[in-house]
Amino acid sequence: MENEGLKTSPRCNLHCPVPSSVLSSVPYSYCQPRCARTLKIWSHVARGTTFRYTYLHSASRSLSPLHQPMEARIFRLWAGRILRLCTRRSSGAPAPGSGATIFALSSGQGRCGIAVIRTSGPASGHALRILTAPRDLPPARHASLRLLSDPRSGEPLDRALVLWFPGPQSFTGEDCVEFHVHGGPAVVSGVLQALGSVPGLRPAEAGEFTRRAFANGKLNLTEVEGLADLIHAETEAQRRQALRQLDGELGHLCRGWAETLTKALAHVEAYIDFGEDDNLEEGVLEQADIEVRALEVALGAHLRDARRGQRLRSGAHVVVTGPPNAGKSSLVNLLSRKPVSIVSPEPGTTRDVLETPVDLAGFPVLLSDTAGLREGVGPVEQEGVRRARESCNFLATVVASVGAQSPSDSSQRLLLVLNKSDLLSPEGPGPGPDLPPHLLLSCLTGEGLDGFLEALRKELAAVCGDPSTDPPLLTRARHQHHLQGCLDALGHYKQSKDLALAAEALRVARGHLTRLTGGGGTEEILDIIFRDFCVGK
Amino acid sequence: MFYFRGCGRWVAASFTKQQFPLARLSSDSAAPRTPHFDVIVIGGGHAGTEAATAAARCGSRTLLLTHRVDTIGQMSCNPSFGGIGKGHLMREVDALDGLCSRICDQSGVHYKVLNRRKGPAVWGLRAQIDRKLYKQNMQKEILNTPLLTVQEGAVEDLILTEPEPEHIGKCRVSGVVLVDGSTVYAESVILTTGTFLRGMIVIGLETHPAGRLGDQPSIGLAQTLEKLGFVVGRLKTGTPPRIAKESINFSILNKHTPDNPSIPFSFTNETVWIKPEDQLPCYLTHTNPKVDEIVLKNLHLNSHVKETTRGPRYCPSIESKVLRFPNRLHQVWLEPEGMDSDLIYPQGLSMTLPAELQEKMITCIRGLEKAKVIQPGYGVQYDYLDPRQITPSLETHLVQRLFFAGQINGTTGYEEAAAQTESCSVARLECSDMISWVQEILLPQPSLVAGTAGMHHNTQLIFAFLGVIAGINASLRVSRKPPFVVSRTEGYIGVLIDDLTTLGTSEPYRMFTSRVEFRLSLRPDNADSRLTLRGYKDAGCVSQQRYERACWMKSSLEEGISVLKSIEFSSSKWKNLIPEASISTSRSLPVRALDVLKYEEVDMDSLAKAVPEPLKKYTKCRELAERLKIEATYESVLFHQLQEIKEVQQDEALQLPKDLDYLTIRDVSLSHEVREKLHFSRPQTIGAASRIPGVTPAAIINLLRFVKTTQRRQAAMNESSKTDQYLCDADRLQEREL
Repeated sequence: MENEGLKTSPRCNLHCPVPSSVLSSVPYSYCQPRCARTLKIWSHVARGTTFRYTYLHSASRSLSPLHQPMEARIFRLWAGRILRLCTRRSSGAPAPGSGATIFALSSGQGRCGIAVIRTSGPASGHALRILTAPRDLPPARHASLRLLSDPRSGEPLDRALVLWFPGPQSFTGEDCVEFHVHGGPAVVSGVLQALGSVPGLRPAEAGEFTRRAFANGKLNLTEVEGLADLIHAETEAQRRQALRQLDGELGHLCRGWAETLTKALAHVEAYIDFGEDDNLEEGVLEQADIEVRALEVALGAHLRDARRGQRLRSGAHVVVTGPPNAGKSSLVNLLSRKPVSIVSPEPGTTRDVLETPVDLAGFPVLLSDTAGLREGVGPVEQEGVRRARESCNFLATVVASVGAQSPSDSSQRLLLVLNKSDLLSPEGPGPGPDLPPHLLLSCLTGEGLDGFLEALRKELAAVCGDPSTDPPLLTRARHQHHLQGCLDALGHYKQSKDLALAAEALRVARGHLTRLTGGGGTEEILDIIFRDFCVGK
Repeated sequence: MFYFRGCGRWVAASFTKQQFPLARLSSDSAAPRTPHFDVIVIGGGHAGTEAATAAARCGSRTLLLTHRVDTIGQMSCNPSFGGIGKGHLMREVDALDGLCSRICDQSGVHYKVLNRRKGPAVWGLRAQIDRKLYKQNMQKEILNTPLLTVQEGAVEDLILTEPEPEHIGKCRVSGVVLVDGSTVYAESVILTTGTFLRGMIVIGLETHPAGRLGDQPSIGLAQTLEKLGFVVGRLKTGTPPRIAKESINFSILNKHTPDNPSIPFSFTNETVWIKPEDQLPCYLTHTNPKVDEIVLKNLHLNSHVKETTRGPRYCPSIESKVLRFPNRLHQVWLEPEGMDSDLIYPQGLSMTLPAELQEKMITCIRGLEKAKVIQPGYGVQYDYLDPRQITPSLETHLVQRLFFAGQINGTTGYEEAAAQTESCSVARLECSDMISWVQEILLPQPSLVAGTAGMHHNTQLIFAFLGVIAGINASLRVSRKPPFVVSRTEGYIGVLIDDLTTLGTSEPYRMFTSRVEFRLSLRPDNADSRLTLRGYKDAGCVSQQRYERACWMKSSLEEGISVLKSIEFSSSKWKNLIPEASISTSRSLPVRALDVLKYEEVDMDSLAKAVPEPLKKYTKCRELAERLKIEATYESVLFHQLQEIKEVQQDEALQLPKDLDYLTIRDVSLSHEVREKLHFSRPQTIGAASRIPGVTPAAIINLLRFVKTTQRRQAAMNESSKTDQYLCDADRLQEREL
């Protein structure tokens, strides 16, 4: 199909027909938050310095190249809060109540020695006691070493430094706890899950810590004065982040569920508000019941499945794509330093998308090897090509493309790599002068590898330096929390004999889903009611 | 637009009891003095009467100006109060000691609680009211309210003076000029009339002005408001025809009897005046395909419907029902208009077809085959003042101390037209007169006034509530106390006012329970706990007796709940004590009495039978027992809602300065569109600003940052020079060094 997009460079010995449409459809997205730079600040924390925003602020200001992401993050937190404010009116959204206790991974995601998990709210002390049982609360504002264990299984999770800040002398003004745990994903995710299982605790929404600090007079907005310009960019980044979290199948599922639920709720609401004054058709409630039951089944199945199967999307996605037999698999093997893909001189050896997590220049990266882009020979290879294209659509952040190509006008980050430079005769002509900026590399001899790695590092830094993305661990915890919350609420719907209570359960369930998908106003409900029913007089 | 007759005739009752209002008019004072009041209320409809009595209850010397005293308490077209969502409002009016709930209880002829089976949080208290009784009782009440003076008179203009520097607004209202040229001064003025109305009545292709065309002088007030820059929108609605009672064949129709016992609207009433067995039934019939056919065939004769492209999303008329939901049977409720009235109000049959077709259509309907149409239905189009021009305390942004209640939302104003229009009022009293009036209407005669109109029955209630709030706030303004604002978390009235003042309205506003975020907390049964205590402490509009009753009820409830929580038995013991309850015995943990009360089959009586001590005393008061049961039903959810409410209240606590000039402030990057929206709606809090559609999160943050900076600088400047007057000057805000 991309034949018209082919461009070959006659003087290059690599004849690389690259379909430009594939490349231009690769979305530009952020993946990875903070990296080494934030670690510096955390190391203060690790040494026992009180973790205060004001402190961080001045610290980051003095380190001028560092201050931007930090402050941007504060703004993002606010933007998130306000965004939700603007979409409130959805009734019964799960409470970000000041009474609830929230927890979040406060440090960045990725390779770091220490990760900081914070809680804020009245149940903080309780949570600390439960996780560090049988020991009691440590002295206030002193770093103490404690063994954290999972309250459900009693399994030890990590030996961690814990800090107990009873309110009001804390970052948020409420009771706060900090867990400084070892930075591995397993530990972090284990502690987060353990916290989530403590009654009264829930994952924090974006910006909730800051918001609470502000509400309790701990933070003055003027402290972040001068950053107003960032906000537009930040809200945009947040939108993209939400898209990224929800792209692919899961997002599609969530939106579908939210739609079903909104409709069911609208019908129940209509039955309450108009059931007796106006005549609604028969079976409105029964229909809603059926839909809710189906939704419950779907959600339940998904949740059971999600715990096992959902791959952790941690790290930037680097997709290697290009024409067949260009040496993509060789490059992947070279980068991952292990034989991930089978290589052979035969075109079309790789027929599927192979993903492998690697560490590239200190960045966690998910490297995808794809099938060569060509009109496939057999159905299997064609499917492989289709998946390769899809993977470009959904995952690609950095496309290391092997072979000559025209990068067209696409805005995604693209690194053009020409492989098999060893085949170029030293005195002969180089690759065509009309080629865009590119790198020469030989997977066979390793020539040009250093330059390639350096270029890749720059690209990754540009992508991963973006502070707008939530750590995927937390994102996943959030998904699970809200989907589980939705499922629980649907259970309440079934049990409620009182219709007002049943409707409330649906409102709560919808609130959980719309936390993931956005939207969720009352007007949506009224629109459906007036569309579906003849009411009013 | 005021029809006046015998202007200047003081009709105040009970003024002999009072020392203030008319003493100033007395002839023995040295110089001729202009009368001076605390609050003037213009208009004697639902909003006007509620506003006037609320202001008087708050201790303000109040003057109610109406064109005719004998039309006070005139009900608008649909003689009913309450309904789903609207019953909540009735309870809230009553919790603030408003009139209409009490008057309804004295005049109701058919009481029914809607949604009985759907849970007490969404019960809809509703009643059909006898027009005549309601009017009589209302007049008795109004004319006997201490501190309230009623005068017949038409307002020609407002007296405007220099604004107070510490508030926003172009100018301040300090009194009114009557048509006869006399002036009355007041600290606050509440406008509840259809001054701006420009109502048009539409039947078929004919339109008639509903209002007084030839009445030049009354335009003065309208012109003043227009000159001041108030923005006006246009809405439309309609009313059904009235049918002669004796011409309906009720015997073949579905009869609906009132509830027995009746649930009164007012917290202070144990029962209603007219006994359930004496109350009147309603009847139900349905439309049929013949009705559809008549509507569809005659669309070309129906200019009102043709224009309904931008009409409300719901179906206000039978035409819109047929057009949007064809081939269906639509309900028609036949409702009595009063104990001795000969008219039946066919709810659900609002229409604007030509009169002869209306009769043709009605006779197609089962039971109405021989029905005689006494007055045809018609559509009305009218102006309304955009509610985004007022604050949540109902004071206008433009004119200080001027309050609007009525006509700020769609269907208002209408009813005022009815009350203001003499010929109409007369026509409504006597059936025979009505017939002649109807005939007059059908012949276009501009000199004759047709003002009566069909309001949704909830609308008069919405007025009534706006009236109460406006009255309270006008009075508080006089005594320089902070305004009394009900938030979304406190009552349906808070939702209503917030929706109107921050979002405006493009269709006549209807109250639905689905609009309310905290529906399970804001119930009809607990309106007194929510509002009476606040009304007493913050507004002073609640009588001592009512306050004490609410306090007693609140403390009894709290005590009762804690007692119920403290009683714990094993589930098997509960099973033995209350065998009729389906308590599962699988749980090993002890079960609280409160949890047992959650079961549908259990009420306080059965619980008290099982555990007489200490529960017996809670069954003595029926209301207390019922409310304990309701509290138990919702207990688990209420805890979570309380947390959410706290959070919303935090947002509402982030106040924006009232004097911010959004159009000109520098140093803050807001788009022009956002500036205009903020300028128009003037949100009072960050919470309200964020609910305005089109105001972006970025704008909110910018705004917050700006306000914080300004406040800090202002504080610093005040510190250095406290006499620096221009700091307070709102007009010079733009020149300020920001």
